[in-house]
Amino acid sequence: MSVSSSSRSTSRNPLHMLVQSWRGLTQRWLSRRAPRARAITLNHSRLFILPTRAGLGFLLVIALLWLLGTNYENNLVFALTFLLVSILAVLPLHTFANLSGVHLRLLDTRAAFAGDFAEAEINVSCEGKREREWLELSWPPEQGSRVDLCEQKSADICISMPVVKRGRVQAPRLRVESRFPLGLFRCWSRIDLDVEFLVYPRPISAGPLPVGEAIAEGKFGEVQRGGEDYAALKPYQAGDSLRHVAWKQYAAGRDLYSKDYERKTDTRLWLDWDLLEGKGVEMRLSNLCDWVLQAEKQSVAYGLRLPGVSLEPSLGAEHRQQVLQALALYPGRGQ
Amino acid sequence: MIANKDLLPRESLLWIFAAQFVALLPQFTMLPLWVAFAWAFAVFWRLEVFRGRKDLPGRTLKITVIALTLAGLALSYRRWFALEPMIALLAISFTLKNLELVSRRDAFVSLLLAYFVAATLFVQEQTIPYALYGLFSVLVITAALAAQLGQFSASPRRALGLSMRLMAQATPLMVLLFLVMPRLGPLWSVPQNTSAGRTGVSDSMAPGDFTELSKSSKPTLRISFDGPVPPPEQRYWRGLVYSEFNGRTWRQGYGVDPRNGGRVYWKSGEQVLPQVGPRYRYQVIQEASRSPWLFAMAQPASESPGVGETADDRLVKRTPVFNRFSYQVSSWPRETLPTPTSLSNVERRRNLQLPSYGNNRTRQWMASLRGQGLSAEAVSSQLLTHFNNAFTYTLNPPALGGDTIDEFLFDSQQGFCEHFAGSYVFAMRAAGVPARVVAGYQGGEWVSGEEYLLVREYDAHAWAEIWLDDRGWQRVDPTAAVAPERVRDGLESAAGEEFMQDSLFPLHRFGILSQLRLQWDMINYRWYQTVVSFNADRQQNLLQRIFGDLSPMRMALLLGVPIFVLLLGISFWAARTAGRPKLTPAEKLYQRFCQRMARNGIRRRSGETAGNYARRIAEERVELANYAGAVTEAFEAVSYGGDARALKKLRQLSSWYFWLRHSANMTPHKRELAGY
Repeated sequence: MSVSSSSRSTSRNPLHMLVQSWRGLTQRWLSRRAPRARAITLNHSRLFILPTRAGLGFLLVIALLWLLGTNYENNLVFALTFLLVSILAVLPLHTFANLSGVHLRLLDTRAAFAGDFAEAEINVSCEGKREREWLELSWPPEQGSRVDLCEQKSADICISMPVVKRGRVQAPRLRVESRFPLGLFRCWSRIDLDVEFLVYPRPISAGPLPVGEAIAEGKFGEVQRGGEDYAALKPYQAGDSLRHVAWKQYAAGRDLYSKDYERKTDTRLWLDWDLLEGKGVEMRLSNLCDWVLQAEKQSVAYGLRLPGVSLEPSLGAEHRQQVLQALALYPGRGQ
Repeated sequence: MIANKDLLPRESLLWIFAAQFVALLPQFTMLPLWVAFAWAFAVFWRLEVFRGRKDLPGRTLKITVIALTLAGLALSYRRWFALEPMIALLAISFTLKNLELVSRRDAFVSLLLAYFVAATLFVQEQTIPYALYGLFSVLVITAALAAQLGQFSASPRRALGLSMRLMAQATPLMVLLFLVMPRLGPLWSVPQNTSAGRTGVSDSMAPGDFTELSKSSKPTLRISFDGPVPPPEQRYWRGLVYSEFNGRTWRQGYGVDPRNGGRVYWKSGEQVLPQVGPRYRYQVIQEASRSPWLFAMAQPASESPGVGETADDRLVKRTPVFNRFSYQVSSWPRETLPTPTSLSNVERRRNLQLPSYGNNRTRQWMASLRGQGLSAEAVSSQLLTHFNNAFTYTLNPPALGGDTIDEFLFDSQQGFCEHFAGSYVFAMRAAGVPARVVAGYQGGEWVSGEEYLLVREYDAHAWAEIWLDDRGWQRVDPTAAVAPERVRDGLESAAGEEFMQDSLFPLHRFGILSQLRLQWDMINYRWYQTVVSFNADRQQNLLQRIFGDLSPMRMALLLGVPIFVLLLGISFWAARTAGRPKLTPAEKLYQRFCQRMARNGIRRRSGETAGNYARRIAEERVELANYAGAVTEAFEAVSYGGDARALKKLRQLSSWYFWLRHSANMTPHKRELAGY
C-alpha cells in the first residue's frame, strides 16, 4: 500500500512536474529547431557545444597554472597558461567543424522482437576535404557506434536500441556526438531521423506446436527423405539404392551420382487466437509468436487467426514477416 | 566496471607514456634517482599488463607501493611545502596512476597532470632552450590528448600535426593575453628551494673556492648603464664583505648578515646620501643564485622593491634570488663622497680581529714594519711591492698547510685572488690597520651589440679594503700588484694557458665560437628584457605607449573589441560552413516567394513540390492564385527548362510583389497578376 501511495505522490511532486514540463518544453523547442526528417545535414542551428568533464579539468589546470605563475611571478608559466587558454578557445571551432556539414540518412530499420535490440542502419557522409573523426551515434543511454570519415567520405553504420513493447515504436531522438579533437569539448545534436521500428511480440513458449490436422503429401510441410519427388543429384554413397543412381550422368563421364528423392508433408497448421483461451492479450500474442518461430524452424506451414485477421497457411520469410507484423500490430496494445 | 569502449588501446597508452616522459625528462635530473626508476618500472609493468603477461596490481600491493613512495619522499625531502617536493609528488602520482591506467578518464587525469609538470620546469629555468622545450612538451602532451580519440588520431603524424595546428591557431590569442592580462603580485609567499648546488660567490671564502668559480663560464650579471660607463679598473661588483678569519676560512662575521641582525636600509632615502648626483646609474640582471646577495659598485643605493643597502656598502635582497632578478642601482664612487668621520669601536675591533695564534712569521714581519713607524699606506705599499717582486698568479697553486698565510707569503708565493686578498688583509690587520676582504665580481665583457656588460662566474674575484683615518675605506686589489692584466683585461688574459683548461671543450680558444657565444648571450639578454621580466610596470608602459592613457573605458575596448571580432568571425564562419547548399538565383527568388506566402499564412510544407504548393495557395487564397501560378511557372521554367528569359520574368514578379505592397502606382495588368 505504501508503495502505491508513494508512486502516486511522485507524479504529484512539484519538482517532478517541473522536470516533466521542462522536458516537454525542450522537446517542443527541439522539434521546432530540428524537425523530423529522414535525411539531415548537421548545421549550426542543430549543434550544441559544451565542455566535457575533461574540459573542466583542463580549466582547473589552467587556474592552477595561473596561480603558479602569479605566485612565482613567472612569465613563462603565464605564457604557457595563456597558450592553454587559447587552445581551449580554439577547440570549440574544431569540434563544431568536425560535425557541421555531416549528412545523416536513414537507410533501413530492422524489425526486432520485444526485449531484444532493434537496429537501424544509417548512412553518414560528408563533403569536402575535411576529415571527420570520432562521430558517435547513439540512443542514450545506450552506447552507440563510432565512425571516422577520413579516407572514405561515406559510411553505413548500425546502431541499436533496446525495445520493450511490441508495435510500431518511434525511436527517440538520435544523439550525434563528437569530442574531437582533444575530448575537452562535446559537440552534439539531437536529431530525429524518423526512425520507426516494427517490434514483434516477445516470444514466450506455450509448449510444442498445436499439431492436430492430418498429415498428407502436398506442397508444404516437413521435408521427408525418400518420397517420390525428384529433388537433386547428390554424390553416390555406399548403401544408396542402385535404382536411384544417375546412370545418364555416369555415362557422360562424370562421377557416380544418385538421385535424391524427397516428399513434403502437408501439415497445415492454424495458429489460432482461440487456442489460448484464458490468457491475456499480450501473453497470447507472445505464445503465438513463439509458435510461429517453431513452425518456421520445423518447416510446418502455418496460418494465423486473430480476431479480425486471418492469414492463409504458408511458409517462407515473406509469410513469416507478414504473420509477425500482424502480431505486432494487433490492436489493444497492453500497457 | 569499466565499459569496454573506455579501455585504453595500445596507441593511447604509448602516447600517455611519451607525454609523461617528455614532461618528466628535465625533472629527472632534479628529482631523487629512485623516482625515475619507479616511473620506468611502472611503465614497464603497465605494458606487461597490456601484453597480458601480468595483472594490474591488487589492493595490498598498491597500498604497499604508496606507503613506500611516501616514505621515500619523506626521506628525500625534509620540507614538504616547496616546489621540488611538489614536483616529486606529481611525478610519483604519475607513476602510481600508471599502475591503474585503465579508463579514458585516468588517461585524461594523467595528461592534465603532465601539463602542470611541464609548467613547473619554468619555475626553475626561464632560458630560451627551456622555453622551447616547454613548448615541445605542450606539443607532445596535446598530441597525446588528441591520440586518445582513436586509432586514426593516434598516428604520430596526425596527432602531432593536429597539435601543431592547434598551437599555431592559439598563438595570436596567447600573445594578446600575455600583453593585456593584468599581473597580480604573489597571492601568498611561496616557499622556495634553498638546497644549494649552484656556483657563485658564497658567504665564506676558503682556499680553493675561487678556483672552482674560475672554471665556470656561466653568466651571472648583465649590467646595462644609463649614462657613463665605468672604466675597466673601476668595475668592482661588490657582493660580500668578510671580516672574520679563523686561520683558514674568511666569513662575514656576526651581525653583518641581515639574517642575523645586520642593519639594512630597506627604504630609499633612509641612508644619508649626498645631494650630488650619483656618478653611475645602471640596471643589473642577476641570475638565480639562491642567496640574497646582490652585486653593485661602491657606494650603491637602489630603489627597486625588496632591495636594501647594508652598512658596509652592499645591496641585499629581502628574499634569496631564486629567479633572474633585475634591480636598478645608483652608485656614488667613494672619492665623490664626503670623508667619513670615523670608524666605530665595534667596527674597528671587527676589522682588526685575528686568530689568537698561528702565522707567526707574518705577524713578526708586520710588527717590525709597525716598529719602524710606517703609516698604513706605507705598510700597504711595502706589501704590494713584496707581491709584485716575487709572486706568480696561477689558477693551480700548491696546497697550503696549517699556517696558510705564512706559507703563501714566504714559501709558495703562487696563488689566486683569494690568496692575495686573504693574506693582504691578514697582514694589514697584523700591522694594526682595519682591513676586510671583499668578494664579488670584477670586470666583465662588454657586449657592444646590445650595450651591456656581461659578467660570468669566472669573473669572481676577491680584493681588500683598508681603513685610512683621513680617507675612509679604500679599495686595494693585491692581485693587481701581481697580475695587473687580471684587473684590466679579465681572467682570460691573466691566466693564459690555465684559463678553463679543465673544461671538456675549451671553446674559448676559438675566436669564432666565443663570438657566437656572445651573440647567444645577446639573444638571451633580449629574451630576458622582453619576455621574462615583463611585469606589471612594463605592461602598463607598453599599453600606454600603444593606446595612450589607459582609462577603464579603453581597457574594456582593448579587451572587448578582439573578443567581439573573434565571435563575429566565428559566427560568420559557422554560417558559411553550415553545409547549406549554394542556391541558384532562381532558387533564391523562389525562396523569397515562399517566405512571402508564409507571411500570408500559407507555409510550404517540407517535401511539397512547387506545383502542389501553387495549387494549395490557389485553393486557400484565391486572390494570390494568379501570382503564385506565374511565379511557379517561371521558376519551373528556369530550374527545369533552363529558360534564361524566365529568370528575368521571375525577377520582375518578385519586385512587383514588393511594389504592390508598398505603392499604389501599379498598372492594372500587374495588379491583376498580383491578385489585387
